[in-house]
Amino acid sequence: MAELLQYTVTGVTVGMVYALIGLSFALIWKSSGVANLALGGMVLIFSWFTYGMVVQIGLPYWIGLPLVIIFALAVGWLIERFALRPLIAQPILSLITVTLGVFYFLEGLAIFIWPWMVDALPRVFPPEPFHIGTAVVAQAYIWAAVVSLVLFGVLTLYFRYHKMGIAMRATADDQFAVQACGIPVTRIFSTSWMFACVVAAIAGVLISWIGGLHMGLVEVGLKSFSVVILGGLDSFIGCIVAGPIIGLAENVGGGYLTPLTWAGLKGVIPYIIIIIVLFIKPYGLFGEVRIERI
Amino acid sequence: MGLPCGTHNYTYDQDMAILRTKTHWALLIALLVLLFTFPLYGGGYWLSVANLIGITVIAAIGLNILLGYCGQLSIGHAGFIAVGAFTSAILTNVLGLPFLVGLIAAGLMAGFIGLIFGIPSLKVKGFYLAIATIAAQFIIIWVINHLEITGGFVGIAVPYASIGGLVFDSEASMFYLIMVIVVMCTFFAKNLARTRVGRAFVAIRDNDLAAKVMGINLFYYKLLAFFIGCFFAGIAGSLMAHWIGFMNAEQFSLMESILYIGMIIIGGLGTALGPILGVIFIRLMQQGMIFVAPTIEAAFPALPAGFATGIAPMLFGLIIILFLILEPRGIAHRWMLFKAAYRLWPFSY
Repeated sequence: MAELLQYTVTGVTVGMVYALIGLSFALIWKSSGVANLALGGMVLIFSWFTYGMVVQIGLPYWIGLPLVIIFALAVGWLIERFALRPLIAQPILSLITVTLGVFYFLEGLAIFIWPWMVDALPRVFPPEPFHIGTAVVAQAYIWAAVVSLVLFGVLTLYFRYHKMGIAMRATADDQFAVQACGIPVTRIFSTSWMFACVVAAIAGVLISWIGGLHMGLVEVGLKSFSVVILGGLDSFIGCIVAGPIIGLAENVGGGYLTPLTWAGLKGVIPYIIIIIVLFIKPYGLFGEVRIERI
Repeated sequence: MGLPCGTHNYTYDQDMAILRTKTHWALLIALLVLLFTFPLYGGGYWLSVANLIGITVIAAIGLNILLGYCGQLSIGHAGFIAVGAFTSAILTNVLGLPFLVGLIAAGLMAGFIGLIFGIPSLKVKGFYLAIATIAAQFIIIWVINHLEITGGFVGIAVPYASIGGLVFDSEASMFYLIMVIVVMCTFFAKNLARTRVGRAFVAIRDNDLAAKVMGINLFYYKLLAFFIGCFFAGIAGSLMAHWIGFMNAEQFSLMESILYIGMIIIGGLGTALGPILGVIFIRLMQQGMIFVAPTIEAAFPALPAGFATGIAPMLFGLIIILFLILEPRGIAHRWMLFKAAYRLWPFSY
């Protein structure tokens, strides 16, 4: 039982970070209907940029982290302005593949500057672990979960009450109507990309506090697709519910099933979940089921 | 468009002919002669580049049928190639079966695995299918890495290809084997697009609901597209295994899968010529990078250490983005425009 509790706590906390990355995806999907496959590259590049600022240049966190946020805003703006904007009203296939191009570029950039390095960010949280019952959890995990929850709350409030948030939701609903109301759709798009990049950057920093920095961070971003698939693409609630489920499945399933199958099962469970969900309930737990007409 | 001045079609046969005029025939024969005498004047290094291009073309043709004609996005193509490569490797190395059995079995096996992961395509499309195929990629590589029979992380040795007493143990002999299959595949793909099946694929790509209303069996045709696409991937994988002689799942990464998509976008989606041009473009560029990168690195010592390995993916990403924005119909479309302009020159129309 002791290990079950351990797996559960680890799974839920890591799952919250996955949920955060999923949130980054949902932000863009909700406002502009673009499926952002570059998520893995984004998480990777922002984590390594933090490393560059904090470790290689040696800035303290209170300067380094705001710089990362500014960098993320810039990257988001650049991607939207130069890759996505020219493709407005193009078929969905072009929109998906252009994010693949961005993904390729970002991963190349990471290899370019930090070639296949493995390192860790300096510690911010005290090394003493938390004790929850019999489970022992490093403080980084708990803080990651807390930050994710807070960010989720802030974004939910933003979308409910802030003028820009409401405009974003409206854009997701009907782009033509929104344009007729005088809302600048292009600015909505670029804002949503900038937000998404910031969320991905925060998630990247959190996940590299937990697991260190390496090229495998790409897979953290890819795994988060299972969160959005399970939760439903256009649902924030879906992300925050599905994230911990994926984290749980990964850790509990990986912990108990690895002896029965092969090593590395933990890394594949999210993908197996994707396939299962697509077979059973393709639009996810909270996703809107699309009824198509010609 | 497409025919020289003064050439008119009077019969259905003439209208349907791929090669309509004597010039077409002459050019095709010249091209084939040029292609099949390449080992005589191409050096050993360029021969191996040509072999790599040939194998990649086969896989890209498969992906083009799936993505270009049928509109089903697959980001797991390298995974399906891996299935073919390891099927062939196991059959020939472990079970000692002849190469041809391995080749066909590799295609069939990859096709069947493709069918399994293609089943969600009936319910979902676009992004969902992209994710399903990414998942396929990771699951396939994980299984290959942990099956005992595939050699796991270490890899598996593959014997030379041989048909009857003929052993393809040199680059030149492998070149002929690969190019014969490339020509067959191109011919098949070109004609597939003109048959009922190909037209059904295009209808599904353009609007699958409308296609369904017209009486096209979506389930059958989508899975057929997956089967054909992955069958080609399997054939390419088998050839790759016998060409390299050693297989390891490391060679089939997600980035490789994305590169295949990039190739057919650059070449031109849904054209017979597209995959060939795209593959040649990307592979030659890779070769160019191998030559140029060390020189640049030596000239500018201030560059970061990852320059040589990192610049290639950055450039490819950029090229994919630029092609999608500036020329979404790819090099093949440019080639068509060039041909039309050439035919009319010096008149404007």
